[in-house]
Amino acid sequence: MGPARAAQRGGLVSCACSHEGAHPLLERVEVLANERVTDRVGLLALHAPRIATSVRPGQFVHLRIAAETDFILRRPFSVHRAGGETIEVLYQVLGRGTRELAEAERGRVMDAIGPLGTGWEVGEGVSHALLVAGGLGAAPLGMLAEQLAARGVAVSVAQGAPRADRLVARELFEAVARRVVLATDDGSVGERGFVTVVSERLLKEDRPDVVCVCGPEVMARAVAKQAAEAGVPCKVSLERLMACGIGACLSCVVTTVHGHKRACCDGPVFDAGEVCWDGSEVPPRH
Amino acid sequence: MDPKYRPATDGTAPAGAREVDLSVELAGLRLRNPVMTASGTFASGREYADFVDLSRLGGVVTKGVSHEPWAGNDSPRIAETASGMLNSIGLQNPGVEAFCAKDLAWLATQDVPVIVNVSGHSVEEYVRVVERLEAEPVVSAYEVNISCPNVDEGGMAFGTACAPAAAVTRAVRAATPRPVIVKLSPNVTAVVEIARAVVDAGADGLALINTLLGMAIDAESRRPKLARTVGGLSGPAIKPVALRMVWQVANALDVPIVGMGGVMCAEDAVEFLLAGATAVAVGTANFVDPTVTMRVVDGLAEYCARHGVARVRDLVGALEA
Repeated sequence: MGPARAAQRGGLVSCACSHEGAHPLLERVEVLANERVTDRVGLLALHAPRIATSVRPGQFVHLRIAAETDFILRRPFSVHRAGGETIEVLYQVLGRGTRELAEAERGRVMDAIGPLGTGWEVGEGVSHALLVAGGLGAAPLGMLAEQLAARGVAVSVAQGAPRADRLVARELFEAVARRVVLATDDGSVGERGFVTVVSERLLKEDRPDVVCVCGPEVMARAVAKQAAEAGVPCKVSLERLMACGIGACLSCVVTTVHGHKRACCDGPVFDAGEVCWDGSEVPPRH
Repeated sequence: MDPKYRPATDGTAPAGAREVDLSVELAGLRLRNPVMTASGTFASGREYADFVDLSRLGGVVTKGVSHEPWAGNDSPRIAETASGMLNSIGLQNPGVEAFCAKDLAWLATQDVPVIVNVSGHSVEEYVRVVERLEAEPVVSAYEVNISCPNVDEGGMAFGTACAPAAAVTRAVRAATPRPVIVKLSPNVTAVVEIARAVVDAGADGLALINTLLGMAIDAESRRPKLARTVGGLSGPAIKPVALRMVWQVANALDVPIVGMGGVMCAEDAVEFLLAGATAVAVGTANFVDPTVTMRVVDGLAEYCARHGVARVRDLVGALEA
């Protein structure tokens, strides 16, 4: 990342951290709204003026959901959308942290670190991008779709979920993308089956310059293989259990051809070609 | 630094907090205050430079370094547990050469004592790491890790019996004139015996405790939550065990102790000092609040001011019956 990006985040403390230009922020954020969008996914809107103005697609915030509790670690959430002084986060209720988050009411204040991580850097030369979203993987791709469309990039979206009502952010994609093709396990909308069938077709039909992927690792791996066969660069966002979120604890490593890299700062978005799909990661249950 | 995270001693602390003498002497090191970082929770400090003024720390204890690069363990490497967490990172590190070129070069630009945590698979490897580090003037002291529960060879195997613990200590002692602090394992029956063996072998100080060996299971999947099945428990859950061990060793031996295990705030730090520790290390709390070390430093001064304690070292071992 270049100096332009660092300058964009002006006014912050001088930084000597290893990831040049990245300036993690501490911010007290306030819940503006918190509502269910599917049977198991919630949408949290947070007043976070500093994060909102500096976050880039694919980056995340590290939330301390409750201060006085026996689950002490923060929880990382990718930013779904950012605008004005507000960020939006999509979350699935999976464990102690997200159960507590689901109970958070308007006005609740939390401590956030962010924006963190390396997101999708889509170069100026890209005129057509294919976004592949599996389940809640749609969350960070929402912001990417909006920003790419705003700068005139043609966006195709392949989105999959178990059933129609779990296609989160479908409306956002349909509003900004040139084309959205859906797949559901039960066939309740779109094609019946996995989203990888759709992504394979769109790679051929739309001939994108780049593929951006977020979803279950088995899906990301399959899409990465399709993109490699089509000769199209592919950038995947990977999920790992995380403690510090800032590169110190080495909990969140991803095995790459360059050795272990940290999902929190070297990622969460990686070039698919460098990822060793060793299958060692079980789905996080935080 | 964000104004909200400025040190409280910038004018909001109680009267007298700024006059408190926070300095301590630890195994020949003069520290500006007794608050250090626990190895493996602070990398080499660079990642925390956005959140912490390193020159306000008593010392930085680095992530463990071995002679050759170590890849560490498979994922998942952490699991959250009640009031704590398990980790099985497995001492992932780039090896001592890369550590000197990157981490120590950066630390040399910072105004803070540097204690390097040294790991090895064999006595010889500990010595080779120290021999290489002897060429680096920025190193103030060594913390010898004989207590990591997450590696198959070396690590805790050296720290759970007197003879191997003493052998590592003796070899490192012979390799350096710098202070040698040995980090002890809590996964033993009689910590005082190991502590005595290590001190007799030439340790200038002791650090305790490392993590407690534990495990976590996912009932839904019927699988271990860690790829390596077992890992080291840290966080507030282990503070009572840590306090007990510090107190036992402090009562039995005349040796400076760095106390650690679940320090989340200044009050916790005071408890370790009262139990007999000369300094404390903040570990897991760095993951929860990256500014926590600053809060502990400020809170110690406030505690002393509130209790009419002029010098923080007067708290060491001041537990009342």
